[in-house]
Amino acid sequence: MGISRQLTPPKHQVAMVLDLNKCLGCHTCTVACKTLWNRDQGTDYAYWNNVETAPGKGYPKMWSATGSRTETGEVKRGEIPDVDQDYGRSWKFNHDKTFFKSNGPREWLKPEGNPQWGPNWDEDRGEGEYPQDNHYFYLPRLCNHCTHPACLDACPRSAIDKRQEDGIVLVNQDKCHGYRFCVEACPYKKVYFDPKRQVATKCIFCLPRMEEGTAPACARQCPGRLRFVGYLDDENGPIWKLVHKWKVAIPLHPEFDLGPNVFYVPPMSPQAIGPDGQPTGEPRIPMSYLESLFGPAVRDALAIVEAERAKKKAGQPSELMDILIAYDWNNNFHIDPAVHREVI
Amino acid sequence: MNTRSIKLVVAPTGFQPGGYIAKAYADRNTALTGKADVGVDTANGFVISLRWKCQHPMIDASDNPRQFIDACALLVPEKADAPWITMGAPGLPVAGVLWRADKTQPMAIRAEGLGSVQRSEAPNNWKAESNYADGYWRVTFTLPQWAPLAEHRQFAIAVWQGAQSERAGLKSISEGWLPL
Repeated sequence: MGISRQLTPPKHQVAMVLDLNKCLGCHTCTVACKTLWNRDQGTDYAYWNNVETAPGKGYPKMWSATGSRTETGEVKRGEIPDVDQDYGRSWKFNHDKTFFKSNGPREWLKPEGNPQWGPNWDEDRGEGEYPQDNHYFYLPRLCNHCTHPACLDACPRSAIDKRQEDGIVLVNQDKCHGYRFCVEACPYKKVYFDPKRQVATKCIFCLPRMEEGTAPACARQCPGRLRFVGYLDDENGPIWKLVHKWKVAIPLHPEFDLGPNVFYVPPMSPQAIGPDGQPTGEPRIPMSYLESLFGPAVRDALAIVEAERAKKKAGQPSELMDILIAYDWNNNFHIDPAVHREVI
Repeated sequence: MNTRSIKLVVAPTGFQPGGYIAKAYADRNTALTGKADVGVDTANGFVISLRWKCQHPMIDASDNPRQFIDACALLVPEKADAPWITMGAPGLPVAGVLWRADKTQPMAIRAEGLGSVQRSEAPNNWKAESNYADGYWRVTFTLPQWAPLAEHRQFAIAVWQGAQSERAGLKSISEGWLPL
């Protein structure tokens, strides 16, 4: 177990699956989340949902190396990201000097100050050399609503709860004193600190929407239809099928041993090109890199996805491909249709 | 005002609530504030001053999540057997007054064990005047009435160095209850 505090398992665990083969990096999810929940001063740098380019340093910078878990799941002291070096302050632009200056030379539009990092600083860079093996993919990230949350274990005030009814992890801001051990401890760096209100903030899995049977904004607004939302134990829903039945959806950094409940269908990639200009048979995205993100289960997950894709391509039926294609996006969400079901 | 130098020790992290702090800060065995000068005047209510060395004062942490502010607190037992090191215990409450470098008014606190601290507005006539000079903080609490201190006539102190990321249970504390 990843934490020492004993938790009663929730009755149902809500979960999300993201098919990385379909993410186009449009950031609609991020904007949907940001505009809904984090528009106040103090939350300007807080992206409960962000999309980063992988391989890359991510947001906050080098987040996976600064949490409270070693590569073998042992507790170590984490770090609180710096607002300039690791998060990057939200930019202010020279609008006055660009658009409203009445005399003298105007300036080009540019950020003021000296920004050093930001949510998309290394977007689309990736790694490798063109045309041999250049590669990248998009990695949307949000709170994993872990089964054994490091943030909950870190809070000396028990201000973080895991809801019994759905396993959503919430900060009780009335109890929070802003000590930031949760920010420090989360190895996914998905707890933020609001310095204006002096409390921790994090993804609430769009709790008010979920209670109405509506998917979180990041999932509902996704143009790529790559997000699936439901319950891990719902055998009629896409989550159970992708995670447990087909075993193609796997968690990010399972070695942290916290039981994340956000799962990813790992990205396939075309073959690298050898010196002779011919495909090498090796994927452009190195398997070792994918294993560093998703653990050894990524090999089998990719093999299953590729085999099912080949079946579908050959005209054979594939339940897995039908789910991932998402012909009707309503089927991506299996929350509680008895309460509410969205329509096109 | 009677003034004395008080040795401070590192607050033990081993029994901090939750599983993280005890493990992550297991190597924390030296008080970052080794001593404090404590002055007490009981002529008219209670005037208690604390003075401690602080190389990097942290007064404003309003724009960076990595920054913590300097603070100090006085703690008094509400019941005679209340333990100071765990900030009381269930049924054995402690009360206190907290000064933070970013606030103009002190806050009242009450606790019945680690992790149970409740903050509230201090009485209007409670004051905490602070001054940073020559590498030292000096904070003077003026507390015209404070029933548990009047009754038990002992108190404990805690100091947080914000620049060293001290907050919550990461602090330097007196070795026990101090007589007035």
